[in-house]
This record gives sequence, C-alpha cells and structure tokens, in this order.
Amino acid sequence: MLNDLFFRLRSLFRRDTVEAEADTELRFHFDQQVEKYLKSGLTREEAIRCARLDFGGHEQLKEEIRDSRGVNLLETLFQDIRYGLRILGRTPVITGVAIVSLALGIGANTAIFSLIDTVMLRLLPVQKPEELVQVLRANFSGGGEGTPSFTNPLWEQVRDHQDVFSNAFAWGESRFDLSKGGAVHYASGIFASGDYFNALGIRPAAGRLIAPSDDTRGCPGVAVLSYGFWQDHYGGAQSAIGSLVALNDHSFQIVGVSSPGFYGVEVGNKFDVAIPICTADVFDGKRSRLDHRSWWWLSIMGRVKPGVSQEQLKARLGVLSPQIFAGALPKNWDEKEQAKFLKLTLVASRAATGISYVRRKFEQPLHILMAVVGLVLLIACANIASLMLARAASRNKEIAVRKALGASRPRLIRQMLTECILLSTAGALLGLLFARWGTALLVRYISTARNTVFLDFSVDARVLGFTAAIAVLTGILFGVLPAFRSTGVSLTSAMKGSQGSDSEGHLRFRPAKWIVASQVALSLVLLVASGLFLRSFVKLSTLDIGFDRNNVLIVHADLHTAKVPPEERLITYEQVESRLRALPGVISAGRSVMTPISGFEWNEFVRTDSPNPPKGDDALVYFNFISPGYFETMRTPLMAGRGFNDHDTKTSTKVAIINQTMARKFFPNTDPLGKYFSTVEDPGKPAPLFQIVGLTRDSKYESLHEEMPSTAFFPITQVPEGDDEENFLLRTVTNPMFLASAVQEAVAGVNKAIPLEFHTLAEQVDDSLVQERLLATLSTFFGGLALLLAMIGLYGALSYLVTQRQAEFGIRMALGAPQKSILGLVMRDVVLVLASGLAAGTCISLAVVGLLQKMLFGLAARDTVTLLASIGVLSAVAFFAGYLPARRAMRVDPMVALRYE
Amino acid sequence: MANKRIELPQGTLDLLILRTLALEPQHGWAISERIHQISSDVLLIQQGSLYPALHRLERRGWIKAKWGISENNRRAKYYELTKTGRKQLELEKDSWKKLAAAVAQILETA
Repeated sequence: MLNDLFFRLRSLFRRDTVEAEADTELRFHFDQQVEKYLKSGLTREEAIRCARLDFGGHEQLKEEIRDSRGVNLLETLFQDIRYGLRILGRTPVITGVAIVSLALGIGANTAIFSLIDTVMLRLLPVQKPEELVQVLRANFSGGGEGTPSFTNPLWEQVRDHQDVFSNAFAWGESRFDLSKGGAVHYASGIFASGDYFNALGIRPAAGRLIAPSDDTRGCPGVAVLSYGFWQDHYGGAQSAIGSLVALNDHSFQIVGVSSPGFYGVEVGNKFDVAIPICTADVFDGKRSRLDHRSWWWLSIMGRVKPGVSQEQLKARLGVLSPQIFAGALPKNWDEKEQAKFLKLTLVASRAATGISYVRRKFEQPLHILMAVVGLVLLIACANIASLMLARAASRNKEIAVRKALGASRPRLIRQMLTECILLSTAGALLGLLFARWGTALLVRYISTARNTVFLDFSVDARVLGFTAAIAVLTGILFGVLPAFRSTGVSLTSAMKGSQGSDSEGHLRFRPAKWIVASQVALSLVLLVASGLFLRSFVKLSTLDIGFDRNNVLIVHADLHTAKVPPEERLITYEQVESRLRALPGVISAGRSVMTPISGFEWNEFVRTDSPNPPKGDDALVYFNFISPGYFETMRTPLMAGRGFNDHDTKTSTKVAIINQTMARKFFPNTDPLGKYFSTVEDPGKPAPLFQIVGLTRDSKYESLHEEMPSTAFFPITQVPEGDDEENFLLRTVTNPMFLASAVQEAVAGVNKAIPLEFHTLAEQVDDSLVQERLLATLSTFFGGLALLLAMIGLYGALSYLVTQRQAEFGIRMALGAPQKSILGLVMRDVVLVLASGLAAGTCISLAVVGLLQKMLFGLAARDTVTLLASIGVLSAVAFFAGYLPARRAMRVDPMVALRYE
Repeated sequence: MANKRIELPQGTLDLLILRTLALEPQHGWAISERIHQISSDVLLIQQGSLYPALHRLERRGWIKAKWGISENNRRAKYYELTKTGRKQLELEKDSWKKLAAAVAQILETA
C-alpha cells in the first residue's frame, strides 16, 4: 500500500525524470528491435520501418505507461482543470450565460431545500433531541394522529403520574404586550413548566433559567429572556438581570437569559420571553386557565428514559391514561362527552425535529416548489447541454488532433466532463449567494402580520452537501451527452476539415432536437402547474366573499388588559365607538367580537322546532356579536327584516340576524323572520331562545375556501360576560392605516391604558392566502424562467442548425429554391420539435397534475383552459424563437455560403 | 508466420513476465524475446502491452527496476522479482494450472 502510494507520488512529483526514464527505456527497446532485424538481413531502412510497425505509436504507449503507473488520475485532473479554465475563458459570454443560468437553477434549488431542511429535517438544537417525544391525546381506538393540546389540570396529572420520561415538560405559546396602553408592541412568549429548560439541556447565557421551584401555585413572576431579545432590547447588558419587564402591564423580574441558538421547540416561531406556567392566572383574573378543565392551551413533551422502547412507552402510557384523564375530568360537560373524555388515551410521537405550524402549513407547497425548481434546473441543464454540444462540434478538429496524438477516448471524455463540472461548480458557488438571498425573501413572503415566521438558517452540512451534489450531478447531466458524441468523431472526416457533409449535419443535430423537445415538454408541465396555481389564486382573490374588504381598519381593543371593570366595559366600548365614528375620514364604524377571515371562530350547535332540523355538523352555526353599524361598515346588505338598534340592550329580548345559508338550512321554504332557535347550553340551565329579526346576505367567516357557512349575528350588547374582547371596524375614505394615530388619540381620550392593535381587513383576507400566493407567484416566476430558458434553447439549437446547413441552403438557392422554401425547411424542424415536445408535455402534465388538486381552488387539476392556454403561450414563444434563425437561413447569400466549402 | 501467433488471454501476461524474471533480472526487450523463443515463436508480446504491464507490476511492488548496462553497452532498465513478486508468482502459477487442467478436462470429456 505504502509502496503503491510512494510509487504514484514519485511519478507525479518527479514527473520529468520518470518521463525521461520511460523514453530511454522505450528507445532502448526500439534500438534492440532494429538491431535484431538488421541481423536477420534487412537493410537499415527496412529494419527501422519494421520496428516502427511493431512498436505502434510512441506517445500512445507512453500514455498507457503513465496510466499503469497510476499518475494519470491526479495529474490529468490538474491538467484538465487548467485546460478547462482556459477553454471556458476563451468564450466568456457563453460561459457567463451558462454560469448565471446554472446559478439561478442551483440557487433556487438550494433555497427551497434549505427551507425544507430547516422546517422539516433539522434536529432541534437541544441536548439529545432524538430522545424527545411529544405527548398527544387520542381516541381509545387510536384513530387519527391525536391532538397536541392539553389543559393545565391534565398537564399536572401527567407531570405527577408519569414514570416513562426522565423529564416531562409543558409549554403554552402566547404573546405579551410590552407597551402600557396605546399601540401594542408584542413580544412572543411562552409559558414554560419548571422543567422546560432543564429537560432540553439549555444553559443560561446570563443569570439563571426557570427552575421547578419557580413553577408553583402563587409563584412570584420571574421571566427568562431569549438571547436575541436580550441583545436587541437590552444590548446584552448584565444590568438587565434583576430588572423588571412589563408583560400586558404586569411586572415580571428578569432572572436570566437562555443560550444563543435556542429559539424554543416550535420551528418557525421564536420566543422572546419565557415565564412559568403558574403565572398564567395573573393574566386571566377570575376564570384562571390554571384550573380550567376545558381550556386547551398547553403542549407536552417528554424525554424518554434510556432503554424504554417505543412499544413499552406506548403500553405504559395506555396504562397510565385512565387515571390521568379521570383526574382532570371536566365535570360541567354532559354525560356523553364526559364518557368520551374518560376514554381518551395518551400517545407519544417523535419530536426530534421539534413541532411546527409552519411545517404543517407549508409542507405540501414546499414539496411542490421543490419539484418546480428541480424542473427549472433540468431545463437549464438541457440548455447548457445544447450549448456544449454546439461548442463540441466546433472543436471537432481539436479533438481529432488530440486523438491522433494518442489521447484515448475516456481521457477526452474526462476532460470534457471536468469542464462541465467546473461550470457547474462556479454556478453552485454563485447559486449559494442567490439562495441566501432567496431564503430570506421566502421567509418574509410567508410571514404575515399576525404570524411572523422565524427560521434559523445557520449553515448546515446537509444543505451544503445538497448543493455540492446537485452541482456535480448537473455538471455530469449536461456534460455526458456532448462529451460522448463529440469524442466519437471519426478521425478521417474531422481531419478532412470540411464543415461536415449534409448527412452528418443532420446526424449531429438529432440529439439537440431531442434536448429542445424535452425542454418544451418540461416547460409545458411547469406552465400548466403555474397556470393552475395562478388561476386558482385569482379565483380566490376575486371571489364574492359577501363583504367589501377594501378600506376597512380593524382596531382590536383589549379592555381586560387595561383593567376596565366588566360592568364598565360596554359603556367604554360605546364611548370609543362614537368618538371613532366622528373622526374625519371615517365613513362608518361598527364593532364586533369576531372579524371575518381572522382564523378565529365561534360556533355552536343550534336547535329549532321546525320539522327535519339539520343534524350533526349541519347544525353547527357560526356566531358573531355585532353593533348596529357593523353591516353598513362591512357593506353586507340586509335582505329582509331589521338591523340591530339601540333598543337591543343587554336586558331586551334576545334577537338574532341570520344569513341566507342558515335560513335555507334551518327554515327551508318558510320565512325565517319571527321564528326562534336555541343553542345547546350547559346541562341543568335553560337553553336561551333567540328570535330571528333579520336576514342578511351570505358572507365568508373563517376562510375563503369554505362553503358559505350558516352564520348568526347577535347584538353586541348581549355578548356573554368574559367573551367581550371587541374589535372596532372603521370604513375609511383613504388608506385605513393613515388613521391609526388619530384612532390612538381618540381612544386615549377615553382611556389611556387600552392596548390597541391595528390591521386592515384587506390584509387580514390576504394573509389567509399565503400558501396560494406563494405557489402562484413562485410557480409563475419559475414558469416564466422555464419559458425563457426553453426559448433560448430553441433559438440556440436552430441557429446552430442553420450554420451547419448553410452550404446546403446556398446550393439549394443557387439551384433556384425560393427563399420561402428555405424558411419552410427550418420551420418544419421547429414544428416537429414543438409538436413532439408538446405531446410529451401534455401526457406528463395530465399524469401528474392530479397531485396538485389539494392545493387548487375552484378548478379541476386537469383543467382544459389552463392546458390549452399553456400550449398556446409555449407555441407562440417557440415560433418566435424559431423564426429568427429561420429568417437568417432564408437570407443566406448563395455565393457567400458556397465559398465556405 | 503470422498465423502461428496466439493472442494472450487476459491476465496471463503478468504471469509470464513474473516467470521470466524468476530466472534472472532482465530488461523489457529481453523479456519479450525470451517469451517469444521459449514459446517456440507462438507468443509474441506487443510492446504496447508489455511496458504498461511492467510499470503496473512495479507499482504493485512485485518487481523492481534498476538501471544497468546491457550486453551492447547501453543504459537499460532491468527488472527483477521482489519477495512479494515471488510469492505472487507461486499463487498465479497454481491458479493457472488449476484453470488449465479444468479447461482441458472439459474439452476432453464434454
């Protein structure tokens, strides 16, 4: 082994000596042979000739010796790289175009992959993440995946009774207002159980972290900051430790800072501040979530004890479950629900990569985008392959000379592949830059006002490996065909030096046609996909949603945090509303508990006396509580009956306005006005009865995707106590956000302590379409890019063909062929390539679009209009790209063309 | 004369070289001549395969090269068997004999 290495190294570094030795050796052999022939009686000339014939090519033999000495691998690599750089440098424009298109392709792939890596693949940056599991509650039958949310009583049961985890911990996400009244400034926070940091193995960067002793009932409020928050808000000052921070106007003492690089266990979010679970009741007042048995706000994770298998874990959790659920039974539920609750069981699911809302929401779009950018890269590869093919053809003579001098075919292929990998490596390096920029852009794109996505894109071996792998793969992909074809050139025809006869020109063009046809096919697939996403997005955004989203400002006012006593809240809200209505620039104003498309819902089962009432989920009705100005502000018209007015007070008859869908479902073929309905209330209490006084047009409630839901509106004066977080809705003359400061002043005139959060209704609706917009925008962008690349590919391939056949065209024209027929000759190729590409593309599209159905709205995946439109666009572009070289062919001057021969 | 020559089967060249060198150190030309002679002119080693084979064997450490002076007073590269080369020769001889016997048996009986 060592001998072998030494031998190779000597051959490599003492190259001249070794070469000279080989020369001497061969020369000696040759002379011996000549002498032998002389002795046998030949003349000197004859002897030398015979020996030469025996000997074969001197240089070839030396090359083979070099090979068998094992030098070649390394040495020729350096040679190839030097030579490759020189060749690439000789055609800077082509090289530049190739590198930039590769960089775009590889950059896009890297960007999407690093998003997938961060969101889905990467392990949590905590101690031994592979030991972590998330605890879920599931039906006893084990159906479904289980629900991740828990009540605090349930968590306490789990914490006190489990014996399968070395540590179990719980946390609840929340956000805390840092300002004291006025416009809100939110920090994202977590309620952490005492063992949270300890179980994850997080060390403090300063001070100490939350300990089990901090998380006991009636605990003093302590807070731990995240490293980033400490840096941003306190400049990383030690003096921050021990100081107070106000969260929703409650004071917490900062005891420490968690280590940098830890952002919590939810991928896509980061926490700014963590406080113990026991402090939650400070925020809740009377109805504390600590003892609430149907307030699901906590998630639970555990670190499995070493040696406990998944089966053992499952079995043990199954055994523990009855006791745990019995200990936290919500006693106010009706019997049937209680029985269901007692049958729940705990299950564990691996959580080494953390848990993530972003992952659930964007998993599918990201996979689709990965496929899309993969296709774009393929198309870019195809382009470069045709480019290389054309260039290789122009290097025929060079290759023939090298072969004649003794270069073997594998050697030449290796040389050409090295060039390609050089290209793709340069593309990849530039692509990494594009990717950094691209991921940042993507994250900003999927963030919304309410849900800022945070992802940690620190450099990761997996992403770098991925980029390196696709760089090499693409290099080989676009290099193999040209390398094999061009080195297969026959010596004699290349040495003759002609431009190649007609038949050969055809032959050489064939793979180029294939490449372009496959580009057309792939581009069609991309165009169809982007067309589908675009149309689906347009359908969603132009959908009749039942209200006018433009120019409405939503002001969320939190009287609870402002510590306004419950009995004064109604009057405060009304005072504020009348002040806001009087603001200049406000057309109308209203209030509501829920706002449309906010992601929040309030629904209840409704009963009526009418025959054949809806059953099951059909009986579910979405609720909202509104002030008299609501419908006018939303521009949702009343179809019949009356709106709410000042006579609908807390104590007056309970009334409701229902929408058309609810009327149709609950009161088919009758006039609902004046009829009654009731809700299902707590057992033992009389169900409240509501009289229908109005009928309104249908509008969307929770999302744009839903069918129009049955909705009932109630006077905001009759909202149950404790559910009175209200929103002001202002229809404005101009951009609603311009009013924010005026609103702030007006509210401060009533009560300075009220925290205010501003959104526009349009933004709220738009934010619900993040996924769709992401897919539509990016797939359209990449579809366009694919189209451009395909066009360049077609143009390049045809230009090459035209150059190749210039002499032929010249002869044809000299013999009297009209210009038109030359044009036809070239365009026939275009049509052929286009038709075969479109046919293949259509087949592929029809086969794969079914996968996209789930992401589409209001149209079938095999949508004919989209397919035809894509074919049309692609054909138009192809004809344009093909016409330019065809016209050039037509204008060939026979004399000039023939002179080349 | 040409039709008397036989193409060497793959891999046997190494064996022949090792065997030839087992007698005494030789330069390349002498090796090819010797094989030619001993095989009664049947085997003709092409230079195109001889020298790559010699360099390959040298790399493997089965033979080593030394510069010496030839019979006609020229600088020539002499190859000689190393210890591992000698072992390798025995191994290859064995396996060749087995192969030859097996092939012969099949040719005669089948």
